[in-house]
Amino acid sequence: MGRLGIRRTRLFITVVLMALFTLLITATTNAQTTADIIAKKVSKLQAKATKTKGIIELDSLAFDDVLAKPRNYSMVVLFTAISPEFQCVPCKNFDPEYRLVAAGWSRIPDKSQIFFGILDFKAGQSVFQKFNMNSAPSLLYFPASDSPESSPSFDRYDFGKSGFQAESFANWVNARSGLKIDVQRPFDFLAFSLKIMGFAGTVGLAHFLYTRGGKVIRSKYLWAAVSLFSIFIFISGHMWNQIRHPPYSMPSRDGRPGFIAPGFQNQFGLETQIVAITYAVLCGGAISLMSSIPRIESPSKQRLAVIIWMGVITVMYSVLILFFRAKNPSYPFRLLF
Amino acid sequence: MSTESSSTVARVLKPTILILIAIVAISSRLFSIIRFESVIHEFDPWFNYRTTQHLVKNGFYDFWNWFDEKSWYPLGRVVGGTVYPGIMVTSALIHNVLHFFNFPVDIRNVCVFLAPMFSGLTAFSAYLLTKELKDSSAGLLAAAFLGVAPGYISRSVAGSYDNEGIAIFLLVFTFYLWIKAVKTGSAFFGLLTALFYFYMVSAWGGYVFITNLVPLHAFTLLLMGRYSNRLYVSYSTFCAVGTLLSMQIPFVGFQPTRTSEHMAALGVFGLLQLYAFAELVRGYIPPKQFRTLLRGGVVAVAVIASFGLTILSFSGVIAPFTGRFYSLYDTGYAKIHIPIIASVSEHQPTAWTSFFFDLQMLIFLFPAGVYLCFKELKDEHVFIILYSVFASYFAGVMVRLMLTLTPVVCVSAAIAYSTLLDTYLETSEHVLASTKPAIAAAATSAPTVIEATTSDSKATGKKTAAKAAAAAAAAAAAKSTDAEAKAHAKSAASSEKKRFPIFNLDSRLLVILQLTWFLFMFAWHCTYVTSGSYSSPSIVLASRQQDGSQMIIDDFREAYYWLRKNTKEDAKVMSWWDYGYQMAGMANVTTLVDNNTWNNTHIATVGKAMSTSEEVSYKVLRHHDVDYVLILFGGVIGYSGDDINKFLWMIRIAEGVYPNDVKETNFFTPRGEYKVDHDATKTMRESLMYKMSYYRFAELYGSGNAVDHVRNARMPAEGPTLSVLEEAYTTENWLVRIYKVKDLDILGRDLKDSTAFDKGRVRKVSSLKKK
Repeated sequence: MGRLGIRRTRLFITVVLMALFTLLITATTNAQTTADIIAKKVSKLQAKATKTKGIIELDSLAFDDVLAKPRNYSMVVLFTAISPEFQCVPCKNFDPEYRLVAAGWSRIPDKSQIFFGILDFKAGQSVFQKFNMNSAPSLLYFPASDSPESSPSFDRYDFGKSGFQAESFANWVNARSGLKIDVQRPFDFLAFSLKIMGFAGTVGLAHFLYTRGGKVIRSKYLWAAVSLFSIFIFISGHMWNQIRHPPYSMPSRDGRPGFIAPGFQNQFGLETQIVAITYAVLCGGAISLMSSIPRIESPSKQRLAVIIWMGVITVMYSVLILFFRAKNPSYPFRLLF
Repeated sequence: MSTESSSTVARVLKPTILILIAIVAISSRLFSIIRFESVIHEFDPWFNYRTTQHLVKNGFYDFWNWFDEKSWYPLGRVVGGTVYPGIMVTSALIHNVLHFFNFPVDIRNVCVFLAPMFSGLTAFSAYLLTKELKDSSAGLLAAAFLGVAPGYISRSVAGSYDNEGIAIFLLVFTFYLWIKAVKTGSAFFGLLTALFYFYMVSAWGGYVFITNLVPLHAFTLLLMGRYSNRLYVSYSTFCAVGTLLSMQIPFVGFQPTRTSEHMAALGVFGLLQLYAFAELVRGYIPPKQFRTLLRGGVVAVAVIASFGLTILSFSGVIAPFTGRFYSLYDTGYAKIHIPIIASVSEHQPTAWTSFFFDLQMLIFLFPAGVYLCFKELKDEHVFIILYSVFASYFAGVMVRLMLTLTPVVCVSAAIAYSTLLDTYLETSEHVLASTKPAIAAAATSAPTVIEATTSDSKATGKKTAAKAAAAAAAAAAAKSTDAEAKAHAKSAASSEKKRFPIFNLDSRLLVILQLTWFLFMFAWHCTYVTSGSYSSPSIVLASRQQDGSQMIIDDFREAYYWLRKNTKEDAKVMSWWDYGYQMAGMANVTTLVDNNTWNNTHIATVGKAMSTSEEVSYKVLRHHDVDYVLILFGGVIGYSGDDINKFLWMIRIAEGVYPNDVKETNFFTPRGEYKVDHDATKTMRESLMYKMSYYRFAELYGSGNAVDHVRNARMPAEGPTLSVLEEAYTTENWLVRIYKVKDLDILGRDLKDSTAFDKGRVRKVSSLKKK
């Protein structure tokens, strides 16, 4: 009885052990297959990316496949709308910069850690909807994730804050992935030759001025023109444009002309140019009233000139005030209209 | 009328007009006092006021050595060494003098009225400056313009007790003295320039504008080949004495010899010495040898100077540009690297509307005046041209620098305007001289009329009389001797530019009347802008109710008074840095950060506490011994300058220092919008600022109708809950909310659990049941 009992227990233990062993084997093979899949995916991606200078063109299906979890690589995806019917100017502007960074991918030592994808709106509308995205370009960074359950976490690149430059974008990726991607701008022959020409021109001009242009450089009219021009530029808000980069103008909307930006502290490029020209005309009027008109010999001509210039000044000043009222509707004063 | 009596009249009239201008300048700055009360405005003035009180109470030496432990807790601030003491010393001096003569004026009233009083002096110095450039009538116009120009009023209304209030006077006066010094070449005026420069250094950081503009002027004159002993004497005196004096201010210290902003002054000083030396040598050596010597000297000096500069800057003796100044040259710099500078509204670039708003008609007369300066182009006109161009640039980059532009705009517009008047009234001698032939010709035919008119027009300078006189002269000239005048004028000024008088009375009238109308409009505009935009004390708000009656919103003072009366003496109150000075001044509590934004990390820490979840934030609050947290919330009355609208800057600044704890992107919805309603992100809803702002907000409106009036957002019916803070005080219009930081739980529980327990919700059991 006892022996039998022992045998039974032995058998039981063996069976259990066997079962455990098989379980273990299947488990490892399972694990191996997942790892295999990922490895395969990585090598495939790597091959693809090497062919296309670091860029992986995605569509909805490929997007889901590439971002499926778990994955041991991080992914940068540019959501863009490059085709001309969308008229997405920033998309077009950013595209070469993005490709520049992606080209830097081929120079990093371990290429299996990160990939750069592009998802065009045409190819991946469903993904755009899934991410609730209605503006392009958007740039998302998906870090590597080991567990399938982890929430869909990603980082969004802020174009407004960091700008459209490849370098700042590369820094941003570096801060997240720890991978240093060096951006090498292709040698720009046009800019280089322009620079050379500019340099030669400056040297030539300097030489000219040095040898016989003394009169030009000492001419107070040249300096007066330069100073007045810069004053007009500055007082019409040019520096604001330099810093804020507003659009040049907008299509007109609900009765508001397209060159006037809504809001008191806001302006368009065209708007400031109009203001600068208005100032210049007004100032020119004042100058001719005090220096040109006293040079007119004939009284009747002089009278005509005074009337014309005074008319110009009054009209332009009224326009200026009108313009200002368009920006600040509560402004109570007016001149002619 | 004889010439003698006429000059007497002018002698009486000018001071009268100047006094009247000063009265206008002062009284147009009193809107805020009449509407509200005699109270210190805004933010920075509160600090100046508090330090002035300290100075008056404890004397100068105590003020000089004052270590203020009530600000920047736990760091503290050395006030004497980090402050421009000019304004405080000025008002303390006025206060003491008045008290010496037994006028018991409160120091608060001295402070409130300081800026308007100095604006009268500014108008006077504009008169002096313009008089040096053209004549006294242009000077009177300039004084009147500067007295009422909104660009200057914006920083000098009564109650706006800030450095700029006296600094603009000092700026204009120093420039006047400098021009006087260059014109006369006297060491005395050079010394006076240096003294007022010292006063300016002690009053405002904008003194760097003088430090660079005056050397630039000297350098330009040198380039134009206008080196003279006058220039040498005036500049050397100014630079040597001025630099030494400016180093006596502890806050400036050794900067004048070490930072790049000040290098131009020293460089030009050295250059002038070399130039003067070369001039001296030239007198003793034959020209040929001198040329060789000069070439060798120039090369040697250039090599030595560049080597020396490189070595000095690499060894760190000369510091590079500081951030605030650097952002003036590279305009994109601040936005990326120093969010704290970019976040201040007065550091924003200027849109064209602001230029027009602040200067109206002057803005297009200003370039005309610059053109006239080019026509004259004496040494002093070169200065005005340089000033105009550079000030326009700086004013374009930074709104607050409109202040430095305004004086030159007024001066130069006054030159243009008075030239126009001269041309069409023909009173000034300079036009008279050039048109002498015409007058002389006219005199032959109508001697009596002309005699009367010329003496008249010289005499008064007053518009109406002069207008009549000029009109008469013009009529006489036009009627009787048209042809003769022409002939004479031709012969007299054949080689020079020919100038004729304005022949027709109607064209004169047209121009003069129109210009006068423009002046009227300018005056209306200035009054409108001053009264509507620049006279709000911003600690007391006024709004119109539906029936048109005025409602005063006095929540800030209500909250600060509550803090003053209901907290321990050493209570630490955390708030965003904007309100630091006000809290210290009005509530007399210890603050963590204030408007003196010297420590970015500390500000970022406060930003972190505001923008993280309660658990994370509580640790920060405990570490800094914070007792109360104060925030502004405008959602109830629609006050748009509240903390939720400033929140993005807090996040940005915090992210700069704590990138792992705070991420700006987490506060934006996936669509990239900044939302506070149902769509608000989880991070947003969990942030302490959001919770404090909307805590019990929904209860105010009843079921589900809560609307944030600033952001036009319908708020969720279920408001946020707070567990580490408890509401201490909320003002009448909910504008200011104060929360008390809870102590650690006595039973050692998590504060979240203990709050839930107190509310009768037993968290753990209920959560177990669910499972």
